[in-house]
Amino acid sequence: MNEFEWRRQMRDLRQPLMPQRDLWAGIDAALDDDSQLARLPRPATSAVSLQKHRQRWLLAGSLAASLLLVGGFGWHLLQAPTATPVARAANPAPATWKPDDPRLAGAAIELDAARMELQLAIRQSPDSPALRRLLDRTELQQIQLRQLAKQAG
Amino acid sequence: MSPASTRANDTDDVRAAAAGDRHAFQRLYRLHAGRVHGAVYRLAGYDHARAEDLTQDAFIRAWQKLPGFRHESAFGTWLYRLAINVALMDIRARGADPVSMLDDDHLPEAGETPFCAAERVELERAIGQLPPRARAVLVLHDIEGWRHEDIGSELGMAVGTSKAQLHRARGLLRKILGESS
Repeated sequence: MNEFEWRRQMRDLRQPLMPQRDLWAGIDAALDDDSQLARLPRPATSAVSLQKHRQRWLLAGSLAASLLLVGGFGWHLLQAPTATPVARAANPAPATWKPDDPRLAGAAIELDAARMELQLAIRQSPDSPALRRLLDRTELQQIQLRQLAKQAG
Repeated sequence: MSPASTRANDTDDVRAAAAGDRHAFQRLYRLHAGRVHGAVYRLAGYDHARAEDLTQDAFIRAWQKLPGFRHESAFGTWLYRLAINVALMDIRARGADPVSMLDDDHLPEAGETPFCAAERVELERAIGQLPPRARAVLVLHDIEGWRHEDIGSELGMAVGTSKAQLHRARGLLRKILGESS
């Protein structure tokens, strides 16, 4: 058999083939999950507004990622033995706030939880500058999230 | 239905699906599932269950990426490339290493022609036994008709490596077919 015959034999294998079962139900279900996250409002938008939309999501994603780090660190400190529990006097925490946008509400809840965990950790270790910096950063992220919600309208 | 009207419907459905019309996307699925699944099935080594997972994944990704589809190529071509990419990513994720799996003892002697005739079922079974990346090169080049430049780019290998992989895959195939006959 030469290469020409070989290629013809192999090309004959190139046939469309329908799946043995209908995959649409599974795809449809996955799209339901997907549409609750990534495909929420899909208006005919311009490239610029799409880019802004993506930037907002990137910011929300980075906030969520950083609060995981904050939460983990706070939890670690909570586990450590401490001396005198002292309440954190300065920089009172912002009031709990829940945005209307369900996509931002998740991030707001997570940030709030992270802030409360950090406050607890500071009660355990009031002299820790790292904890205070983390708390300040978390509160700053909460403010940024509020601004984000305001921009999103 | 003529090819022209099929293309027109296809384009309408693509635009509707990109705007979130699930029914339009379902029609696209019905129209293109055969071609997508056929290619993915071959790359997955003729494994029905895995190929179905990959086909499903390819359509989900297509839905996610549809808003970015610029109509620079036919939707079918775009979808087909996306599905191939999903299948190749799966091969990469499984850590397939063709070089370590291919023993030179398994290759034909120098100068021996690596081509041989076989029944379709035999051939498919033998291709399914190849190491994943070697199979990917063979399927893409000999069955799907891709150029080595495109294969190399998609699989992250040099053109020369793709050619060498093809030679090895054909040699292994000949060996497998020789043993089974």
